[in-house]
Amino acid sequence: MTTTSRAQEVLYESEAALRLVDNGIDDLRGAAQPAPQENRLMTVSLGDLPLILERANQQIQNVLAHLRQTRSALQSTAFEKLQATHDKIREVTSATEDAAINIMDACDRANNIVDELDAIDAAETPDKAQALNLRSTLRDEIFLMMGALQFQDITSQQLSHASAVLVEMESRLAEVAALFDSGLTIDRPTFTNAPAEQTYDPNATTRNAEGRQALADGIFTSIRVPAA
Amino acid sequence: MKFLVVDDSATMRRIVINSLQRIGFSDTVEASDGQEALSKFDTSINFIITDWNMPNMTGTEFTKVLRTIPHGVSVPVLMVTARSVKEDILTAMEAGVNNYIVKPFTPAVLKEKIDALLPAAAA
Repeated sequence: MTTTSRAQEVLYESEAALRLVDNGIDDLRGAAQPAPQENRLMTVSLGDLPLILERANQQIQNVLAHLRQTRSALQSTAFEKLQATHDKIREVTSATEDAAINIMDACDRANNIVDELDAIDAAETPDKAQALNLRSTLRDEIFLMMGALQFQDITSQQLSHASAVLVEMESRLAEVAALFDSGLTIDRPTFTNAPAEQTYDPNATTRNAEGRQALADGIFTSIRVPAA
Repeated sequence: MKFLVVDDSATMRRIVINSLQRIGFSDTVEASDGQEALSKFDTSINFIITDWNMPNMTGTEFTKVLRTIPHGVSVPVLMVTARSVKEDILTAMEAGVNNYIVKPFTPAVLKEKIDALLPAAAA
């Protein structure tokens, strides 16, 4: 059983126990009513009070036990998910910075190449072959800058995953809040636009692309793909 | 050689198309998900490069449907995706993908995979 489903089970059990307590309290409230509630007093007499109190006490103990389990299950689930989300957001920061540095490095190299091209142009006898090579290198650098922008797609998927986790956590917290008041209505807008699961990969990363490509190549090599 | 480039990220479509131009392929068609790709697929398309995670229809779903269309049975499909766990790669193969590139990729890897599938695309 996963931590998530255990947390849900405990939530339902807690809710059922709370309903029992609610009923017990209703009984007590009825027993405590003054004279006009004669019919009520006929069914719940003062002599029943110790029994009712004992039953209520037992149920409250059960509720507390369930709540402790709920808290523990929620804590572990929330911790794991929030920790993973935290890690993803940190990775977004580092991927963005890496991409920015790669682009800036390529810009520096491109600027140097332009300087070299200027020097060639300024020479009395310009070295056209050298200029041709430098232009080719310059195109490579520009292309490298463009390739570095792939981080945008991957970080976008990482943020979608983080967003989905937050929406899920919000839903769980609302369930817990509803345990204490079944009539509870949340008067602020809830997040309804969680990203569709099929639009992102929860494991998307910019790290170790070579290693991951080698894994894919290994699988495609070892399992013969039918010729297209 | 005409390429159909399928990705919900406009940035990625542009990077792939620029990479293709750089290695000599300038005839391209774009689609932002599998559904749009199916609507744009016809017998003029020789090669498909598709992402996996997309709204409406994913890359694997698109490939499965494609393989049921007469001309789609033989057109090479190269998947370019961030997904890289073994189970995902096997799922892509089962869907009918011919080769697989993990994002972020380099132009050299793209060229290598395209070159490997070109004979099938030209057939």
